[in-house]
Amino acid sequence: MKVLLIEDNEELASSISDFLGREGYICEVSYNVRDAQDKLISFQYDCVLLDIMLPDGNGLDILSFMRMERIQSSILILSAKNSLDDKVAGLEEGADDYLTKPFHLPELHARLRAIYRRKMLNGSNIIAFNEISLNIDTLEARVNGHLLDMTRKEFDLLLYFLVNKNRVLSRQSIAAHLWGDYTDNLANFDFVYQHVKNIRKKISAASGTDYIGTVYGLGYKFNTSKQ
Amino acid sequence: MKLVDKYTLWFLSITLLILPLNSFITYRSIKNEIDKAAVERLKHVNTRVAEQLRKGERPGDYSQGCKIDVMPVSALPGEPFEITEKDVTHDPELKDNDRKITVTSYHNINGQYYKITSGDYVTRSEQILLGLRTSIMWKLIILIGLVVLTARLISRFVLAPFYGTMKKLQGFTLKSKKRIELPNTTTKEFRELNCFVKKMTDKAIDDYASLKEFSENASHELQTPLAIIRSKLELLSESDINDHQAKLIVDMQNSVEKLTRINRSLVLLSKLENKEFETQETVNLSRYAESTLRSFSDLVQLKALTLRSQIEENVEVKLHASLVDILLNNLISNAIRHNIPAGSIEVLLNRDVLIVKNTGRPPGCPPEEMFQRFKKGTHCNNSIGIGLSIVKQICDLNAFAIQYHYTSGLHIIVINFPSGKASSKLLQNDERYLHEKIQL
Repeated sequence: MKVLLIEDNEELASSISDFLGREGYICEVSYNVRDAQDKLISFQYDCVLLDIMLPDGNGLDILSFMRMERIQSSILILSAKNSLDDKVAGLEEGADDYLTKPFHLPELHARLRAIYRRKMLNGSNIIAFNEISLNIDTLEARVNGHLLDMTRKEFDLLLYFLVNKNRVLSRQSIAAHLWGDYTDNLANFDFVYQHVKNIRKKISAASGTDYIGTVYGLGYKFNTSKQ
Repeated sequence: MKLVDKYTLWFLSITLLILPLNSFITYRSIKNEIDKAAVERLKHVNTRVAEQLRKGERPGDYSQGCKIDVMPVSALPGEPFEITEKDVTHDPELKDNDRKITVTSYHNINGQYYKITSGDYVTRSEQILLGLRTSIMWKLIILIGLVVLTARLISRFVLAPFYGTMKKLQGFTLKSKKRIELPNTTTKEFRELNCFVKKMTDKAIDDYASLKEFSENASHELQTPLAIIRSKLELLSESDINDHQAKLIVDMQNSVEKLTRINRSLVLLSKLENKEFETQETVNLSRYAESTLRSFSDLVQLKALTLRSQIEENVEVKLHASLVDILLNNLISNAIRHNIPAGSIEVLLNRDVLIVKNTGRPPGCPPEEMFQRFKKGTHCNNSIGIGLSIVKQICDLNAFAIQYHYTSGLHIIVINFPSGKASSKLLQNDERYLHEKIQL
């Protein structure tokens, strides 16, 4: 997948392109509006990651620019301005999703994949790895063809693991993914622990491989090399 | 008391004070004038009689309608005139009190001294007073009637700019960023008031704009570095690290997480205080409450809590949609976090009230301090202590009354919705009051 990242902060841009690069994405970076417009006209991107506040203009202007030029890329807005007006304006201008800074990189990746899936008309609604397959339309999780009895949150969490395979997912990142940003509750990571424990139990019960492991005290990792 | 009533009362009381004084002066001057005229006339009569005597004519008992009396005397006293005034009490013909003025004069006529006395009846003081009283009564009645009537009519015109300014102020919100335009007035005080109000509101708008800009900038400036730290830590955690390094990263991640949440909450609070979430629309609170409970059902199960809910259908409240989630999430997550093992949560929602009850340890601070920022009720170190403060702010903003009690092991939060469709009953009352005032 080819991604254009429009972000004026070089350190953050390097983090994002580094992370996405390891996922095998081709990630190009623009630090300002003019450069972004040049790139958008010259090349074709599957997805655009767009910061709202840019040194030479507003990210929302790029949205209208893209609409005028009939550029069909998916758009994910990354904004530090957690203001509702921007969110509404952005989504109305044709953005596909909106992520508020500071975000977790695995979360960004999950959102990006979700947008991409939606955009692909013939995209599969099944996400599978070895014996595990998730149907994101019906929210059914199967291991070796056996349907798992999973709650919505457990399904979301397993999907998050599958999208971010071989990544360390911190408990903070998992909590924010499952319960959103605004709950002042999630410092209690026991809940994350419980959910992960349940998923592992359910996969093992269906005689699947226990791919999910803990990484020191950091969090969890879906380890594809596990047999 | 209305301004016009106050003015009327003051005016009338001053009038009441002046009227008796005024009538006393009038009474004195009328009486003096009458007496003076009578005395002049009698003096003239006496002179006429003296002239008659000088000519050798014998004057009659009456001259010009006044009874006269001529008596020869032996010597002239020092004063040529002597004026007496007396109330004649028993006049058999009039059968009434009367006042008589007599003028006695002494003349030297052809070597013979005469004392000539003439007298006349004049208007009695009681009669003057009676007349004055009637006229004062009528004056008062007409005055009061006219003042009360006209004051109300005139104040409508005179005070119109004042009420206009009040109405403009009532409709003034900082959020609209619209500077208020006040009509011109010829009244100096109102001109000054309008000038002052205009200056004040303009300044408030400017201050608000700069405050808003600051809070937006602050949030932006903080979020980007936080995003950088967080992303770098995530990349670092995927590199080849050992157990010890991992622990350091975990601690950093926890702190960044806390910082992020504090920053977000403070930005949200300042937005709430800036009233950026005013709305005229209603939301179906029942649906939101049910979906919130559903989304927390996992956590409820994990903590082995019992959840009882009694949610009436289609409860509509006036609240910004994005605040509903924040409000409910904070309430329910608080109820879960500050709970005890195998405890319970009870949620009750109907048209008037939302009640969240949960078991828990007694709070560590007085209930009234519960809603303050960074006040942590129980012994939960992971909380930043801002959730209830946000809840309180949301309630205040939408005129919901929120109360917190702790009784017999239960934390109880009660939110009363304003009755009727109005979200701000207070403001509406004010408006009606103002409207009545303007209608007078």
